[in-house]
Amino acid sequence: MKQIQSRLRQTARQLLSEGKVDLLIGYRQGSLPLKTTPCFVSQEEEAVGLVWNSFCTNNLAVYLPGLFRPDPRSRKREEKKVGIVVKGCDCRSVVGHLKEDQVPREDLVIIGVPCQGMIDEKKIVAKLEGKEIIKAKEQDGQILVVDEKGQEIRLAKGNFLRDSCQVCQHPVPPLYDILIEGETARQALSDEYAEVKELEERSIDQRWEFFQREMSKCIRCYACRNACPLCYCPECFAEQSQPRWVGTTDDPSDIMAFHLGRIFHTAGRCVDCGACEAACPMGIELRKLTRKLIKDVEELFGYETGVSVEEPPPLATYKLDDDDEFIK
Amino acid sequence: MTEKILTKDKQEEFLSRLIKVYQVFAPVEKEGNSLFSQINTPEELAEEYRNTKRPPKELFFPHSEALFRFRKGQVLEENPNEVERVIFGMRPCDAKSLTLLDMVFNGKDFKDPYFIARREKTTIISIACARPQITCFCTSCGTSPVSEEGSDILLFDLGENYLVKSITPKGQQLIDSLGDLLTDTQESDLKKRDELIKTALVEMKSEIPTEGLKEKLEGMFDSPIWEKIHLKCLGCGICTYLCPTCHCFDIVDEAVDSEGERVKNWDSCMYPQFTIQASGLNPRLSNKERLRQRMMHKFNYSVSNYGQTFCVGCGRCVRNCPVNLDIREIVKLISGK
Repeated sequence: MKQIQSRLRQTARQLLSEGKVDLLIGYRQGSLPLKTTPCFVSQEEEAVGLVWNSFCTNNLAVYLPGLFRPDPRSRKREEKKVGIVVKGCDCRSVVGHLKEDQVPREDLVIIGVPCQGMIDEKKIVAKLEGKEIIKAKEQDGQILVVDEKGQEIRLAKGNFLRDSCQVCQHPVPPLYDILIEGETARQALSDEYAEVKELEERSIDQRWEFFQREMSKCIRCYACRNACPLCYCPECFAEQSQPRWVGTTDDPSDIMAFHLGRIFHTAGRCVDCGACEAACPMGIELRKLTRKLIKDVEELFGYETGVSVEEPPPLATYKLDDDDEFIK
Repeated sequence: MTEKILTKDKQEEFLSRLIKVYQVFAPVEKEGNSLFSQINTPEELAEEYRNTKRPPKELFFPHSEALFRFRKGQVLEENPNEVERVIFGMRPCDAKSLTLLDMVFNGKDFKDPYFIARREKTTIISIACARPQITCFCTSCGTSPVSEEGSDILLFDLGENYLVKSITPKGQQLIDSLGDLLTDTQESDLKKRDELIKTALVEMKSEIPTEGLKEKLEGMFDSPIWEKIHLKCLGCGICTYLCPTCHCFDIVDEAVDSEGERVKNWDSCMYPQFTIQASGLNPRLSNKERLRQRMMHKFNYSVSNYGQTFCVGCGRCVRNCPVNLDIREIVKLISGK
């Protein structure tokens, strides 16, 4: 980890000093234990603040479409080269952006970092059972946590990985300009869709109950949407008022309509980076729903998202020799 | 006002008696999230909590509230009156936040009858904080972990007992009605309370430089500082919706043809459509303007309008921001400290 971090800083310094990027998006130390925070580096000297550890959970690709959009006032796009630090999943989001023509490849420098899986802060907080975490650091594959009473607790990192990391098949970014040398830990799960299958096997009533329960937690903060790299629409359907597709109340029907609309929109595009679920302050199990769609797209179209820029997206493609299985 | 002792073995009876007379709201754990919700038995009370994830503002200013029903331009029925309520277990920061909301919804210029009715019919029993969290900074925001402001009754958790202090006549009345459950305070209780107050203040380690902040912000509307601060902001509504003092709303008609409801919904200055005008013009085009608005409103405009900073230092936005955009760091940056 430490080695990756110093290589990353070195790379960032070089890119900035040689003028190959004007802005670099990475992570720096957060203000709270177990957290890093996204940072935007434009000066060579700032590169020393970049960090790489098991708390780099945010998918930084979420910032890209906005950075390359024309300025809303001048309507001109500022010429700039942007460097971005990506894990495997983040990179697959960038592949999506390239495929959907949201980000100009020539202005983007992708700095890939092989990922060993990121920590789910919520799991550690739950483990501490109400005791507050004052400090946390990573040491030899363990997370060292100091609680409010000054007690040191050592936790095996493997037990606190994010759910999305546990089923990740692409810890190494599939597309990059620079790949930072480092080890990965590919998770070997016997059945990556076990949770989805369990949900599929439930009766309609039970699935409805699950959906209602999860949706009842929603406060309509839209953090799931805003943390999602794919939700880059300048105006979301949930916000349009003429016509208005979805009400803005906290009525279950409005909440459900928003989530269904958003989640279906990610079909064939979601890379399961887990950003939505990580951002949700209320702990809604959104990934169970998005992963069902990933599984469906995989089964129906044999398509894996975010691996190749060239492969056409299944839901935006027409084939003359399509057997139209679904309509027979 | 009076100070009494409630031994913890009588807490259950205390709550049961309240439940018989009032609608009682208290911190509960619901689907993994702590929030204030109506309890029908004392057992529903969350066992251990520092503060709830969702602030209690929704009990006075609900996320969505039907103001009235209408048909063909005629008002059919107005929102019914509220019943007498008690909120048990609020924290002093949240109690303070209600006094700030009073300035908005029950101020000189505007009166919100729905909000006012709920406030008048609610008695607030707060519990002083003995153990502030690392994200708490209420002492920088004109209140403290043991402040009485906004509460009708303040409890101090002394271990085996609660010291029960009435703050307002409404609180005194409630204490009097449950007088048979309470005993007189001993010298040792008062000593324990003083110790609790001392520890709570020592334990409060986080702070923000609010002194002179309003004046500092006066000339900062066009400061380049905003260009940088907003970059990582996702523009979601967590900070505003989990904030106990944020109070912006939008009014819409939920109607089919000419029949429906006029609904007041929470809104957030972090949302793009918050300021969009009928012409299509949006004066706050990006997160930069929106985040600036949020900071200005809390630390400048509110001080001008009400003489108060509209942040109580509860730390909810700090703990829940998905990109760790920490309001304490923004304030420090603005202050140049």
